[in-house]
Amino acid sequence: MIELDTHPTGAAVVRVDGRLTMVDAPAFRSAVTEAVGEAATTVVVDLSACAFMDSSGLGAVIAGLKAARQAGGDLRIAAPTTQVLTVLQLTNLERVLRPFGSVAEALRAG
Amino acid sequence: MPAELSLRAPGVPASLDDVHVLLTRAWDQHPDVGDDDRLRFEIAVVEIAGNVVEHAGDPDPVDFDLAVRVEDDRLEARFQDPGRRVDVDFGTADMPDALAETGRGVALALATADELTYRRIGAVNHWLVLRRRRS
Repeated sequence: MIELDTHPTGAAVVRVDGRLTMVDAPAFRSAVTEAVGEAATTVVVDLSACAFMDSSGLGAVIAGLKAARQAGGDLRIAAPTTQVLTVLQLTNLERVLRPFGSVAEALRAG
Repeated sequence: MPAELSLRAPGVPASLDDVHVLLTRAWDQHPDVGDDDRLRFEIAVVEIAGNVVEHAGDPDPVDFDLAVRVEDDRLEARFQDPGRRVDVDFGTADMPDALAETGRGVALALATADELTYRRIGAVNHWLVLRRRRS
């Protein structure tokens, strides 16, 4: 399940609850598109409850990163689980998608 | 205790959830399988399931079969589907550029499985995902 929470400060939090695979990737993309469309400059993806991410889910996160950057903002991932961290390591994306310890930390990062 | 768990599902994205459920049943029956083996095997199996759903189900979804075996020394998943032939070159299945949105599936499966094979036998696609147990 994908939840979008927009903040008046210009930030948005997209929370992934469960799995982010081919099944939920379209909903994730829609949520990020909506956040960027509402002028969110910082999109934080809360992965603390994401039990599993596959390459389709990862592709959707990369698409979100590009959309946020094109709008002059940024996308940050927060609190990834062991499975998600493993996928980031295996795909060499830890630097492009540098994980923050928590949503609050990602929001604070400026 | 059954030696093999299997399912038949339509070649649509929602069937990935059935694959996860099947693997959860396998782990419930075999609590001795280590966390890292589960995690990496599940990555490989779901990537191939995604490949089956994405490619072999085009243009019309076809049912696929999945059988999972947990042995003392290895984990095996065998997929079969009567969809179109898959054009895959394991030798060139490298990770794409960092900002690519697609193209990581087979590379991820290769990184987490010890053996990954694809065969076209008659009009049926056969995938084998094998991981040797470390723990």
